[in-house]
Amino acid sequence: MRLGARDVAKSYGAVQANSGVTLEVAPAEIHAIVGENGAGKSTLMRLLQGLEQPDAGSIVFNDRPIRLRDPEQALGLGIGMVHQEFMLAPELTLLENFVLGHEPVTAALPLGRRIDWRAARAAGDALAAKTDLAIDWDRRAGTAPVHIQQYTEILRLLQRGMKVLILDEPTAVLAPQQADDLFTLLRQLRDQGTSIVFISHKLREVIALADRVTIMRRGRVVASSRIDETDIDTMTRHIVGETAAAAPPAAHTVEAGEPVLEVSGLSAPALAGSHPVRAVDLRVRAGEIVGMAGIAGNGQDELIQCVVGLRKPSSGAVGLNGRALAGCDNADFRAAGLGYISPDRAHEGLAKAASIEDNVMAASQRAPAFRRGPFRRLGAVRSEAFRRLAQLKVRFGRLSDPVASLSGGNQQRLVFAREIATEPALLVVAQPTRGVDLGGIAAIHAILREFAARGGAVLLVSEELDELIALSDRIVVMAEGGIVGEIADETATPEAIGRLMLQQDTHGEAANG
Amino acid sequence: MAEATTEPAAGRSSLMPALERMAADILRFALPVLFAFFVGAVVLAFIGENPLDTYALMLSEGFGSSRRLAATLSAATPLLFTAVATAICFRSGVFNVGVDGAFVLGGLAAAAAGTLLPVAFGWSIAPLAMVAAMAVAGVWLYVPGLLLARLDVDEVVSTLMLNFIALGLSGFLVNTLLLSETSGNNTTDTIHAVAELSRLMPPSTLHSGFLIGLACVFAYWVWARWTPAGYEAKLVGLNQRFARAVGIAIPASIVLVMAISGIVAGLGGASHALGQVHKFSDGFSAGYGFTGMAVALLARNSAFGIVFGAVLFGALASAGTTIQLFSDVPLDIVNVIEGTVMIFAVMELGRLSLRRGRAS
Repeated sequence: MRLGARDVAKSYGAVQANSGVTLEVAPAEIHAIVGENGAGKSTLMRLLQGLEQPDAGSIVFNDRPIRLRDPEQALGLGIGMVHQEFMLAPELTLLENFVLGHEPVTAALPLGRRIDWRAARAAGDALAAKTDLAIDWDRRAGTAPVHIQQYTEILRLLQRGMKVLILDEPTAVLAPQQADDLFTLLRQLRDQGTSIVFISHKLREVIALADRVTIMRRGRVVASSRIDETDIDTMTRHIVGETAAAAPPAAHTVEAGEPVLEVSGLSAPALAGSHPVRAVDLRVRAGEIVGMAGIAGNGQDELIQCVVGLRKPSSGAVGLNGRALAGCDNADFRAAGLGYISPDRAHEGLAKAASIEDNVMAASQRAPAFRRGPFRRLGAVRSEAFRRLAQLKVRFGRLSDPVASLSGGNQQRLVFAREIATEPALLVVAQPTRGVDLGGIAAIHAILREFAARGGAVLLVSEELDELIALSDRIVVMAEGGIVGEIADETATPEAIGRLMLQQDTHGEAANG
Repeated sequence: MAEATTEPAAGRSSLMPALERMAADILRFALPVLFAFFVGAVVLAFIGENPLDTYALMLSEGFGSSRRLAATLSAATPLLFTAVATAICFRSGVFNVGVDGAFVLGGLAAAAAGTLLPVAFGWSIAPLAMVAAMAVAGVWLYVPGLLLARLDVDEVVSTLMLNFIALGLSGFLVNTLLLSETSGNNTTDTIHAVAELSRLMPPSTLHSGFLIGLACVFAYWVWARWTPAGYEAKLVGLNQRFARAVGIAIPASIVLVMAISGIVAGLGGASHALGQVHKFSDGFSAGYGFTGMAVALLARNSAFGIVFGAVLFGALASAGTTIQLFSDVPLDIVNVIEGTVMIFAVMELGRLSLRRGRAS
C-alpha cells in the first residue's frame, strides 16, 4: 500500500465526519473516492494531507503507520494535492508558478544567489515532454486556459517528486475533450508509478478512469471494489443509501409561448481573464428552458450579468416582458419580472452573515404587502419567510439563525425559494447545482421543471452537460463570447455539445498533441 | 438533505433561544469592559495604587449620588449622538470617521444661529439653530458619501481629512466673523438665554439635549429595524455583491447613511452648544466623535448597546475628572481604560470558540 488510512475517526464537535474509515491506495493505481457532499471525503483528504490529525486510527504510508503533523511533511513524503480552486498566483507566469516555493538557484555569486530561470525552464520542458504536454511557460497564469493551469499545477507537484497525487474534482472546470486529455495524462502518470487519488461526483468518469473506487456515506466507507467489479447503478445505490433517488419526472410538454427574454446584438466588455460578449442574439419563451453550455470564461458570466442588470452592455438590446432594459439596474429587471440564481451562491446568492429570514426575504422589502406607510410589517415578513421556506422544503432551525448554518443543498433551496416566491416571468439560473449533493440536485431539477411547467421562462447556464441535457428544451453553446451553435434537446449528447464548446478554442495550447 | 421534510420551527423559537442570544449579547458587551478594567488594574498596581480602592472611588464618583449620576448622564449626552452617527455608517460597512468634524460644525452653526438670530424670535431660536446645525453637518458628510458612492473615494481618508478641515474652518471663523466682541479670543458670544436648552436637574449641567439624544437612539432603532431603507443598509453592510444582486441601489444607500450620520452628529453639536456650553469656542469637541466610535464598536451598532456604552463612557469621563481631586490617580488612567475597551470591543471574542466548528 502506498497511501491509506486504517480505521481513522475524526469528529468536529458533535459531527462525526469520519468514523472507522479504512482506505488502501496501491502504488501505480488510480483510486476514485465518491460520495455526496458531507460524506466525509474532504475530511479524509485533509487527514491524508496532514491538515488535520485523526482522533483515532492512523494514516499509512508505504505500509507503515505515520503521523502527519502538517502539509509540509506530507509534501516532503511525496503526497501532493491539486485543489478544486487552483493555487496558482495569477499575476505570475506559468514558469514562475511552476518553480514557486522550490526555485532552482545559481551557485553563490558575489551578489548572492539568484533564481536560475534557465534551469527552471529546462526542468519544466523536460517534465512536459515526459508527459506529452506543450505549455507556453511565459504566459501569465491568470490568462491561461483552465486546463493549462491545471497541468501546471500537476507538473509543479511532479517536479517536487510527488508519489501520490490527490485531485479534488479535477474535471469540474473542463470541457469533455479536455477531461479526456487529463485522463490520458493521469493514466500515463500512473503507468510511470504515481498513485492517484481522484475525487469525483461524476460516476461515468470514475468508470472510465479509475482502477479502484471507494464509496463514502455519512462518514463511513460503505463500499470499495475494483472498478470492473461494479457499475454505475451499484455505485449510485451505495452513494445515496438504500432509499434510491426518485426517478426523474417525464419532460414537461407545455408548448412554449410568448417570448419573455429577447436579447439582440448584445455586446459587453469582459471580466478579468475572460472573453467579451460579442453580438449575442438570444430568445427565451414562456414555458421554455433554454440551456447554455460553454467552457468557463467564454462570455457566459458577462452575458448573464447583462441579462440580470448587474453589468452594462456596450451595445445591443435586452427586452424582458416587452420592456427595453439594456443598461438598467437589477431592481428594474426584477420589477419587470426577473428571478436570478447566482452562480456564486456563497458571495452573491446569499449574504452569509445575515439571518435566514433576511436572506429569504431580500428584494421584497419594498413590496406593498410588507409595508405599512414608511414601515416594514415585520409580522407579515416573518410569516412570508416561513411560507417561502416551507414551500421549497428548506430545513432550518430558526429564522434568526445565520444562513451559513444550512447545508449547501438547503442554502440553494433557500435561494430558489426567494427568487421564485415573487412569481417572476423569467428565471436566470447559473450553476444551480454546484456543490449540491445528489438528493439536492434532484430537488432543484424538480423545482426548475415545475417552474417551467407553470409557464415560466428559464435561462439555464451550467457546466454540467448532463444537467443541461436533462432539463433543457434546447441548448445554445457559447464560445469566445459568441453563440456558436444551438442543439435541440433530442439530438443533444455531451459529445456534440463538447465539440461545439471547443470548436473555436484555438489557442494552440491543446495538450497531448 | 435528501429526505426533505419541513418542520417550520415556530414552536422552537420560544423563550430559551431568545434568552441565550440576549446572554451572548450581554457577554459581548461586558467582556471587553471587564478586560479593559483588568488592564487598567494592572496599570494602577504598577503605579502603586490599589485598583480596588480606585475602582470603588470611580464607581461612587460615577453613580454614587443623584448629582454624580446627573454629571455622568451629562457627559454621556454628546456620546449618544456621535455613537448613533457612527453606528449607522458602520452598520452599512462605511467606515466613517468624520463624525467629530460634523459634530464641531453642527455646534458652530447652532452657536452662530443662537447668537446672530434676533432675540425677538424667542423660543423658535433653538429649533432653528438645530435645523441649521443638521443642514450644515448633513451636507458636510453627504459630500464624502457621494465621493465614495460615485467615485470610490476611500471614506476613511476623506472623512479623516474633513475633520481637520472642520477644525480649521471653525477655528478660523471664531477668530474672525463670529469672534465675540466681549469675551476674548477663539470664541463666539454666548447664545441668547432664550435659546438655551432647559436644565433637567439643576445645578448639574444635565440638559434636555440628553432626551433628544435618547430620541435619536430610539429613532435609529426604528429606522434600522422597521424601515426598508434600514434593512437595505444592513444588507449593504453585510455583503455588497449580494445587495446589488437583489436590486438594492448601493450608492443611494451609502449616501443616505452618510447624510443621516451628518445630521445626527450636527444635532449632537447643536445640543452641546445650546445645552452645555452656550457658545462655540476652540476645543468644542473633547474627542466626542472618537469616543462615540468606541461606544458604537462596543455596542456592535445596537441601539440599546449605545445607551449603555454612552453611559459607561460618560461615567468614566465624569469620574475621571473628579478622582484626580480625591486621589493620586491621574486622569490618563481613564484614557487607558477607554482605549483598551476600544481594542477589546473590536476583537471577535466569539471567533476563538467558533474556529474549529466545521466538518467536511
